[in-house]
Order: sequence, then C-alpha cells, then structure tokens
Amino acid sequence: MREHRLRIGVSGIRGVVGDFLTPSLAANFAQAFGTYVGGGRVVVGRDTRASGPMIQHAVCCGLLASGCEVVDVGILPTPTIQVYVDEIGARGGIAVTASHNPPEYNALKLFNRDGLFFNHYERSELIDLYHQSDFRHARNNEIRPMEREYELPVVEHFKRVLRHIDVDAIRRRRFRVALDGVNGAGSLVSVRFLQDVLGCELHAISVDPSKPFPREAEPRPEVLTEIAALVRDRHCDIGFAQDPDGDRLAIVDNKGRVIDNDDVLALAVDAILARLPGDVVVNLTTSAVIDDLAAIHHRRVYRTPVGEANVVQRMRMVGAVIGGEGSNGGIIFPAVHYCRDSYTGMAFLLDRLLATSKTTAELAGALPQYSRRMGKVAFEHGRLGQVMQSLERTLSAPSIDRSDGLKLLWPDKWVHVRASNTEPLVRIAVEAREDTTADQLYQQVRELL
Amino acid sequence: MAERSLRISQVGLRGVVGQGLTASHVLDFAAAFGTLIGPGSAVVIGRDPRSSGFMIRQGVIASLIACGHRVIDLGLVSTPVIQHEIRRLGAQGGISIGASHNAAEWNALKFFGPNGTYLSTAEASELLDIYHLKKFSFVPHTGLGSLCEDNGALDAYLDQLAAAYDFEALRQFRVVVDCTNGTSSLILRRMNQRFGFSFILINERIEGDRFAHEPITNQRTVGLQLAPLITPLNADAGFLFDVDSDRLALATERGEAVSEEMILPLLADHLLPQGPGKLVITNLSTTALLEEVASWHGGTVVRVPVGRAAAIDALATYRPDEIAVAGEGTGAAMMPRFRFIYDGIASMLAILTMMRERGRKISEILAGYPVYEMRKGQVPLESPRVPDLLMALENEYSDGKINTTDGLRVDWADRWFHVRVSQTEPVVRVICEQRGRVPKTLFGALMDRVRRMD
Repeated sequence: MREHRLRIGVSGIRGVVGDFLTPSLAANFAQAFGTYVGGGRVVVGRDTRASGPMIQHAVCCGLLASGCEVVDVGILPTPTIQVYVDEIGARGGIAVTASHNPPEYNALKLFNRDGLFFNHYERSELIDLYHQSDFRHARNNEIRPMEREYELPVVEHFKRVLRHIDVDAIRRRRFRVALDGVNGAGSLVSVRFLQDVLGCELHAISVDPSKPFPREAEPRPEVLTEIAALVRDRHCDIGFAQDPDGDRLAIVDNKGRVIDNDDVLALAVDAILARLPGDVVVNLTTSAVIDDLAAIHHRRVYRTPVGEANVVQRMRMVGAVIGGEGSNGGIIFPAVHYCRDSYTGMAFLLDRLLATSKTTAELAGALPQYSRRMGKVAFEHGRLGQVMQSLERTLSAPSIDRSDGLKLLWPDKWVHVRASNTEPLVRIAVEAREDTTADQLYQQVRELL
Repeated sequence: MAERSLRISQVGLRGVVGQGLTASHVLDFAAAFGTLIGPGSAVVIGRDPRSSGFMIRQGVIASLIACGHRVIDLGLVSTPVIQHEIRRLGAQGGISIGASHNAAEWNALKFFGPNGTYLSTAEASELLDIYHLKKFSFVPHTGLGSLCEDNGALDAYLDQLAAAYDFEALRQFRVVVDCTNGTSSLILRRMNQRFGFSFILINERIEGDRFAHEPITNQRTVGLQLAPLITPLNADAGFLFDVDSDRLALATERGEAVSEEMILPLLADHLLPQGPGKLVITNLSTTALLEEVASWHGGTVVRVPVGRAAAIDALATYRPDEIAVAGEGTGAAMMPRFRFIYDGIASMLAILTMMRERGRKISEILAGYPVYEMRKGQVPLESPRVPDLLMALENEYSDGKINTTDGLRVDWADRWFHVRVSQTEPVVRVICEQRGRVPKTLFGALMDRVRRMD
C-alpha cells in the first residue's frame, strides 16, 4: 500500500515533517487561507509536537503575507483556539496540529469566522484557491506586527464551560481524578482546569508540553494502561485521557477500565438531556445507545455522514442541544461552542457523578449494553461500488441508509461500511446486542469485502 | 517597474514586497541558505524596521528551523551588528532582513558566512543553484532547530567600537544625526545613554512604512533636513544614515551638504598614514580624488567592477594588513579593523577621530582637497546594442586609458568616464568626472550617444 506521507486535499494539508510537509507548503496553504478569509484577524495556535514552532512560523509568514493580522495564542487545545476565534470575532483560525496522528506528522486545522471547521464547500474553495496560487499579496504598509495572547483564550474557554455546571459543589466534593495529558496541548490547561478550577485531587501523568508523546497519540483503550493503573492505585473516581490537541476525551472508570468511546459520548448525552431540552445529532457510525437514551428523554436523534463538520452543520440546522461522534471520542456541546471539546466532557462527567452520587463504573454499567466491532480493509481501486452492492444484496437488511457509504440496519444490529476520507481503506463498524451476533456479522462483512 | 521588481542575484534576494518579492521566495531562499551552511549550525538573524520584516522574519525562521539550525534572533538591529554578533558567537552564518537604502516598500535578504563576512562569489553561486534546484536539506521532526532571542548584541557591538575608537575624546563633538527612521537611532541613543555622547537625533522614530525621506545617503537627502539644522544647533558635523546604517552621508559645521563621494577619500586620507595598509579598494565608478589622496600617502587604489560581490572577492585576495580602506561612492565603507563589515557608525567615528587628531573642522579638512566635479546620468535599457556602443566608444576615445572589466571606463590625466549596464535596474549608467571643472561637454556627448545607441 502507498504510504501517505503528504496529503493536500479537502481536509486541508497533512504530512510527515521533513521532506514531505515543508515550511513552504505550510506557508502557501496559510496564504491561501488568508486570501480566502480576506485579511483581518486570524488566531494561530498549536499543539506540542516538535515540528509545531517550525510550522507555526511558516503559517504566520503566509498569513502576514496575505495581509492578515495574526493573533498568536501559543500552545493551546484546539477547542480553546476555536472558542477564541469566536470570542474576538476573528476572520478565522488555524491550529497547527496533526491531532491524534503520530509525532512525525503535522497538519493544519482550519476554522472559519465562527471558529467552526471549514465545511465541505469552504474547504473545496480553499483548495482551488491554493492550487491556482491566486494569493493576496500584502504590500509593506498592509503588514502588521503579530499580537500575542496566551492567557485570555483559556480564561474564556473555562468561563464558557463552567457556566453549565455547579462549580462550587464540584470543588466541595474534591474528586480524586487521574489525568493523562499525552504531553499535549492540554497538559498545562487541563491541570489548571481540574486542579485549580474544579478543586480536584489530581494525579497527573504526561503533562509536560516540552516532552514527546509518551504513548500513541490516539487515546485508544489499548494504549491507556498507565492511566488505568494510576486510577486503580490511587483509588480515583475517574481518569481522563486526551489526545495531543485536546479535542478528544477518553475516560477510565473508577475500576480502571477504559470506557468505550461510544459510551463516553452516551454518558455526556445522558447528562445533558437530563438537564436541557433539545435533540441529538450523531454520525452514522455512532452507537444505538444514543437512540435508547434519547428515547428515554423523548428526544430525536439525527444521523449525519462521518466528520465533525457534518455533525456540526446538522446540529446548527436542527438546533440540537448535544452531538458528537462516538467512534472518536468527540463531544460537541453548542452552549460552549460547536467543537469537539474534552473540557466540556470532563466538566459534565464530574457534574454527573456529583448529581447522581454514583461511581463512574455504575454510570457506565447502567447504559444499555452493546457489543461493537470495528475494522478496516484495503480495497481495489474501482471495485468499491460492486462490493457495496453485493453486500447490500447478500445481507438484505430491512432498513438501509446510503448517506455515507452503506449502513444496513436490523432491529438488534447494524453494520456501517464506508470508504475512508483519508486512506484507501474501507472502514467497517458493527454493533449488536449480543457478542456472538456482532462477531458473526463482522466476519460475514469482512469475508464479503 | 514594481511589477518586475524581484532581483535574485549573487548579493541575495531583493524586491518590492507583495509585488515581486513574496513569502515563497523568502522561504525558499532561506531554505537554500540553510542547506548551504550544512547541518546543525547557529544562524544569527535581524531585521530593519520595515513592516514587511515581520512577515519575512517568520519565513526565515521557519526555513532555518526546518533545516535543523539554531536561530539566534537579534530583533531590530543594523546589519553591522548582525555581522559582529556572528563573529562574537562563532555562528556559522547570518541573514539580515532589510532593504537598506531602498524605499519602504522594498525588502531584501543579505546572507553572511562564518565571521560575519559576505558570501564569496563561489558561495553565492552555490546558494543560487540550491535555490533554483529547490533540493533543500530539511530534517525529520526529531532534528528540527530552535529559536532563541539575543538582546545583548547591541552592547557587545558597542564594546567593539569602544575598543577601536577613543569614545572619551569623541563624545566632546556636537553631532546632529538624521537616522532616516532606521536602526542607527537605536545605536546612537544607546551611545548617548551608555557612553555620554550627545548625538542630537532627527527622524529617530523607528518607522515601518513612512520614512521621513528617501533612505538614500547622498548630498540631496543631507540637504533636506539635516544640513539646515547644523548652524542653528551649533554642531561640529551632521551625519545621515540609511535604514540599516551601513551607509552614511555628511554635512559640514557650516551647514553644507557634502557629496557622498567624499566619504571614501576622507577615510583614505585618515587611514592611509596610520598604516600598514596601503591599498584602497573601490569600484570603477568612484571619484578619482581617491588616486590623488592615495598618492599623498604612498597608497594605491585598486578598482574592481561595481557591486558588492566584486568588492568582497577583491578584499579576500589581500591580507588584512595590506588594506587601508574599502568602499563605494555611495557612502558605504569598511575598515581593516572590522574586516568585511560595511558600517556607517564606524565610518562616522573614524571621521570624527580624524577631525580630533587634526584639530580641524570638517569643512577645513574638505577644503584641503582639490575639487573634482562629477556628473551621473542614466538611460533606460531598451536596446541589445550596448556592446556595440561600448566598442564604438572604445575606438573613439582610444587616446585615453581603456578599462573594460565592467562596461567601459576611459581615463585621462584630469578626467574619466564610465559607461555600464546596471546590475540592479534595467538602465545604462553614465558617470563622468573632471578635476577642477564640470565635464559638461564630455558628459553631454556620452549621454547623447547612449540615448541614440549608435
């Protein structure tokens, strides 16, 4: 299989730093972005990977060259950057982060004036502009010195989150909390949030932003053994693990078990629906546990194609109260901002523990239980349509959704098969009430592919 | 003109920002330099006050870090300070971001090697090759470079100057300086504060876009604001610097604006008798007064083609102790003490030292020189027939001494002319000089010939 060391496409620009993702590429892309947003203030921040300063300098160069006023916010979680774009009415924002990708990668996350991810339309316009090299070139008198603001974004982000929970009560409860910051952008911000603001007794690991990532960047259950052990040893109420740019959240229960990503979203959804009116938006690959919870609260669930921009767009259309993507640990709570935000997740989980007087394990255990299988297979170019059709014929499900790949639904199980946006792979997600049903369906689909 | 302002040459990269010089050029050129100097080097950078410097600085840092270098940023400083700091820190190179005497909308990158010297022609050619091939030595994420700031460069530079010049004696002079809103104001303010000088500064506010006047060091700009202030302020002299303070121009205590051509003869007259260097290195377009001054002190003038590259190459072929001074008619000069550093501040201090040692006013020193009258003209380059023209002129003026190393220069006992194609602009330059009187007829004839191209 071809190694995707550099990708320039509708999802922006991402690649291995060195011979692939060069300063020149990053600067050109930023200049295209600056041209697209038409000058004005642009917020720029980054995560902690080693190539961050280099790429950020290149991005600032491109933005200044396009006549933008750059507001440098330094090392910050992606959601904090997004909130700040919105807060100061900037024209846009760029986060220099490859999110959960390995340390040799870097990438640019692009935000519009509302601090939202570029939608598909905006992204394709930007990429056309990039390819045409039709950039705005500022003259000497249009270039401004950069501003630097490291503190206000954090204050504002906290303020927006804390508005929705009982801070004093949480402080009084003095939760014992474990944290794995993966030495990422959240390292310092999360310690401050949990320890200083929420008054937790904090047991933190990997919260040194100057050090490399100590584990795989994506907070998958298999790589969270250290924090799981920490939770058990220190008898913590809960453990939080972030990805390098602090948008994703993984949770370890008080028994040291990593809670499934779909169940993390479910806990957040349950917490919100218990308190606020409104519907729920999740992507097609998210668990049916969301439907069960929504039914209990008499709410609707809307399903969208995979991708944060898709979920956010539908949330805004239907005025949803909560949303997210179960498979990747993203919780989107619009009252804070339309972004995946691990801080909203942490705050609501602690608030929920307090409100219910239950343990994390009890809360997770009380959720409707499903068995899930996920996997990916490489596919031969041009064969995708045939494969999908034969899958549909062979499995003959009572309900079919074709809005993003193929999703086949039965009363007690479903399977979602779609081509990845980032790799030449088909992703398979299966869920069922019973383990054996899930195994069976998953095996069947794999064989057919 | 601005549409085609980009100049990529041996000297580096120069152009009108946004209309010729873009972020891409900056990133690629800095990456080429980062590749040229070899892995893991320390590189000193600094900028002049132009607003576009903010953008260019980001690009330069990005590319140097991407090549694995340690970047030492001096911030807003003059080019000579960057050169001194490269030497002091033992860095492997440096980049000066600034367009010196060009208008505000221009910017440029100047490159320096170890010891703060300009790149040789060979090195500069290699830099250009790397730039054009775009094969840069970017390192993987584990080997990326770093950025640090260095605020001590100015004082370290002043320590160097204090060791070379008698500050105690020189600070008695009352001197007015036109800083052209550039970096010289930072240096001179610090000299006032730290060493008790009493420089009176005008246009001392650092400006990113609006310079009080064109940042050129010549008789005309000196005459604008500086010269009229000298007598009312009862000053001993007036000096004017370009934005990055490597060039200077002069006004006398009587408020006369002096031709920029006089800087080098003054320095030669001061430095030749101090020995041991007996050589004055300059280009073919600089005043013939130099030869006369040199002959008083047993010195020799070495003339090379116009342009910094030729001067640097020439300098490199002599031992430091053979040279008295090197420079151009533009007011840029370097002294053996600070080899390979064009430094307006040091030149000013040398001229003040000369005034003190001779116990004479600057106007009196200048009055001691014979008068040479120079005329300069330029004609747009619109014809490919310049070589034919030069050959025709060579035949016509064959009674003079012919020099064809850069265009055509013809010398007679009391006058000379130089016709050449500019390296920086699409023009043909004509320079004519005569001892004692204006070379009106010769200049008129030459301009006419160049305009007609026959």
